[in-house]
Amino acid sequence: MLLWALLILPPVLAGTCCVARSARRVLLLASVGGAGWAALAGATASAAYASGPLFAARGWLYLDALSAYHLAVLGLVFGASSVYAWGYFQGELADGTLSLRSARRFGALWFGSAAAMTAVLLSNNLGLMWVGIEATTLLTAFLICVHVTPLSLEAMWKYLVVCSVGVAFAFVGTLLVAASAQRLGLDASEMLLWTRLRESAALLAPGPMKLAFLFLLVGYGTKAGLAPLHSWLPDAHSQAPAPVSALFSGFMLNTALYCLMRYLPLVEGATGGTGWGGGLLVVFGILSILLAAVFIVFQQDGKRLLAYHSVEHIGIIALGLGLGGIGTFAALWHTLNHAVCKALAFFSVGRLGQMYGTHDLGRMAGAMRRSPVWGIGFFGGVLALIGVAPFAIFMSEFQILRAAAAAHAFVALTLFLLGAGIVFVGALRHAMTSAWGEEVCEPKLQPGGVADAVLVFGALALLLLLGLWMPGPLRTALEQAALIVGGRP
Amino acid sequence: MNDGAGPDAVLALLIITDLLLLGSSRLRSCITITALQGVVVSLLPVLLHGAEGAVRPWILTGGSMILKGAVFPWLLLRVLRESGVRREVEPFVGHTLSVVAGVAALMFSIWVGTQLNLPGPVAPNQTLMVPAGLATLLIGLFLIVSRRTAVTQVLGYIVVENGIYTVGVTLVGGVPMLVELGVLMDVFVAVFIMSIAAYHISREFDHIDVDQLNQLRG
Amino acid sequence: MNWTVVIPPAAGLLLAPLLFGVINRTKALFAGRHGQPLLQPYFDLGKLLRKGATYSRTTTWVFRAGPIVGLSATATALALTPMGGLPAPVRFSGDVLLFAYLLCLARFFTVIAALDTGSSFEGMGASREVLFSALAEPALLLSLAAVARETRTLSLSGMVGSVSAGTWLSQGPALALVAVALGVVLLAENARIPVDDPTTHLELTMIHEVMLLDHGGPDLAFALYGAMLKLWVLGALLVGLAVPVRSGNPLVGAGAFLGGMVVLAMLIGVVESSMARLRLLRVPKLLVGATALAVLALILILG
Repeated sequence: MLLWALLILPPVLAGTCCVARSARRVLLLASVGGAGWAALAGATASAAYASGPLFAARGWLYLDALSAYHLAVLGLVFGASSVYAWGYFQGELADGTLSLRSARRFGALWFGSAAAMTAVLLSNNLGLMWVGIEATTLLTAFLICVHVTPLSLEAMWKYLVVCSVGVAFAFVGTLLVAASAQRLGLDASEMLLWTRLRESAALLAPGPMKLAFLFLLVGYGTKAGLAPLHSWLPDAHSQAPAPVSALFSGFMLNTALYCLMRYLPLVEGATGGTGWGGGLLVVFGILSILLAAVFIVFQQDGKRLLAYHSVEHIGIIALGLGLGGIGTFAALWHTLNHAVCKALAFFSVGRLGQMYGTHDLGRMAGAMRRSPVWGIGFFGGVLALIGVAPFAIFMSEFQILRAAAAAHAFVALTLFLLGAGIVFVGALRHAMTSAWGEEVCEPKLQPGGVADAVLVFGALALLLLLGLWMPGPLRTALEQAALIVGGRP
Repeated sequence: MNDGAGPDAVLALLIITDLLLLGSSRLRSCITITALQGVVVSLLPVLLHGAEGAVRPWILTGGSMILKGAVFPWLLLRVLRESGVRREVEPFVGHTLSVVAGVAALMFSIWVGTQLNLPGPVAPNQTLMVPAGLATLLIGLFLIVSRRTAVTQVLGYIVVENGIYTVGVTLVGGVPMLVELGVLMDVFVAVFIMSIAAYHISREFDHIDVDQLNQLRG
Repeated sequence: MNWTVVIPPAAGLLLAPLLFGVINRTKALFAGRHGQPLLQPYFDLGKLLRKGATYSRTTTWVFRAGPIVGLSATATALALTPMGGLPAPVRFSGDVLLFAYLLCLARFFTVIAALDTGSSFEGMGASREVLFSALAEPALLLSLAAVARETRTLSLSGMVGSVSAGTWLSQGPALALVAVALGVVLLAENARIPVDDPTTHLELTMIHEVMLLDHGGPDLAFALYGAMLKLWVLGALLVGLAVPVRSGNPLVGAGAFLGGMVVLAMLIGVVESSMARLRLLRVPKLLVGATALAVLALILILG
């Protein structure tokens, strides 16, 4: 029913894109189809919350509170990016740099990656989940290269090799999980079902599970952008067109973290709840935050800056997950906040880049004066990202600090504050220059549209709203999801 | 070890092909060696589980052999032909040292194997299979990191997958068929896309020396 | 004492030059020539023994001792070598190490005799010979260690004698690897293609031949005969492992062994005719590869 519709719609749309008559039609299909699919995703998610977990395909497809929440976030990001893509590619359509072939490829791969990410979220079978993640790598690779240039090829190659190898490691982890489940005596078709493993997590063999989690952390961590495995991130994000970057940062990284969230209760159950898995996550999280902080200070390129911000925020989410308790709740909330914020920031930087012809922050100085909508979008987005109150990101980071204090993880607390502080100063400097600095280049202004204003101000308003007040349904949704991952709400 | 002659031979061939790959600098022979390794590794399901009478191992073996023995070499040879490269550029780690490193990886994997106490349907006389698979994985990783040609990096990825396949078939007998097919499909599409990417790289840059793709920094 | 123990060394002493004859004949056949008679090496040795020797004024007793010590060491190693199922006259636990060291001694004296002449060509050949032998040593010892582990004995006669068809059935892959590693060591130690070209005339490309350049007459005969015995001894090891005919009848065993040696000589001839010599820089790769195979065989037998 709903689950199957969610899975089948994107490939159908992808197929339609392949036979579209003109690049314009492809983009129209992309934006409308994307928005429509997003609505379907939202409906499915709320259905799951209302009536409890949804099953399909003899238990291989599964939608519980955790995956429904992520599905809703995916829908939001995907829908917004699809609508944005329509505006973004207008200039290229007009002067013909977007050929029909590239447009068709873009449309097909765009929906293909949505299908793959949905498959990851919906699958109950851990092996199929892995297949989905590998598929996201493969399908998004050529999205980086919508325009085949030397730099984009370089970024794509690095992305392909690093992520494929990382995901191969994750497969070893999946195999080891299956090996540790041997003693449960499950039937072959049920052995990798998450629901079954979760029920009997305490019975899994601890030794292989620990090794498995290590491999999984390295593997899915590469895909998520945890340091030190993040080397592909800045290149891929900076070379891809803005809608693709928004999808990457806004959702694809979260998909990989989602997989880790599925494995965390398994490993905690197998090791007796000692927090071994959580400890590893905390280490990787702090490492990501600190590494990203250092690189942010020296960045000149706008999109690379945002990419390092993604590394930092993924580190924060991992930190929260690792701390447990309130940390899990805050980490999940942070997922939503970061997705919205990052999408907004990439949208703005993408359009500003088109206007100024470069992504170099120094040359984009004075953007807010020239292009109010996108300038405010960029400045507001960066402010929110670095954790300025009262935006939502500040609130979720604060909750994670509380969780760290509650868990007596004072070293982690101090390092987190240190990293966040460095990021604050470094990124603020960049943002202020680009918003109010002396103008260096003459931008090519593009006519703004209603859609642009809605995207920017809607996103900012959402972030502000969430920072000030948490709606009841959202709170319940987060609590249910956090319960699944294993923390107290 | 009487009935272990088949898996033993697979084991020996697996490691020999690993070491040959490490020491070889001609790209065509590297592709052939990897194809041979893929075919040898594909025989494992039949050798280990074929006696049970199910059809599954045979389908897996057949599909895997076609993919790794015919399709992958064809794709990669096409890239070689387009780019006109014959020999490997001098790698970061010399060939002789690479072979020594490969033997060291084998030693390390055997040590890890003794420390692990893995459960699973590992017959007592197959205790070297998992370390061999691990060693192949490490050697594939080494190839990716230490070699400069795009084609060799793709070969390294295939070798990593061969190693994982060996570990998987030995450790876990009952992964559902759909998942196995999905994995095979994924590997196929991965290699396909990588070869297309390598082709684009050779067209755009006139070489496939990945070390020179270093414009994006910082 | 059992009269059958005399057979291995006697066969070696008598038939070693025949191996060279078979190799040369095979190479000639490949080249489409009729080739030398099979017994030509015997005639060459006889001719050399009848000649006089000339010694340079710059050489010392070392130069004269080289070929003599080389031949005696190799002949002593021959006393340790079994012939398939027939044990050698001298055998004790650990004689495998003595075997390796005797070959080492022979090589050492050849090298210092070459260095004693003070000529640059000999010096060059000496350094190459030492390098390649140093790399081939681990391969030899590790292969023998693998076989020793399998047969639980440290005596050459015991090792080769215990390898039967049953051992091959159960440890086939490992023994195959040992055979390949020993084959490479054989080619390296005996200065055969692809390590060295025995028929080259260019001193710059020689390794083993150049060390014999200044010897003449009986000295050259000793050195040549020593090389033939070395080929026999290492070949005997390889054939003993590869041809596992272990019936009780000494004649059947000896016959199978001799057949194996002839096939080995023909194989060497085929390899020499079909390959070119490897570049000097690539020979270490080959030897390290052989060592890796030996390590693998050892691991397979241990595991």
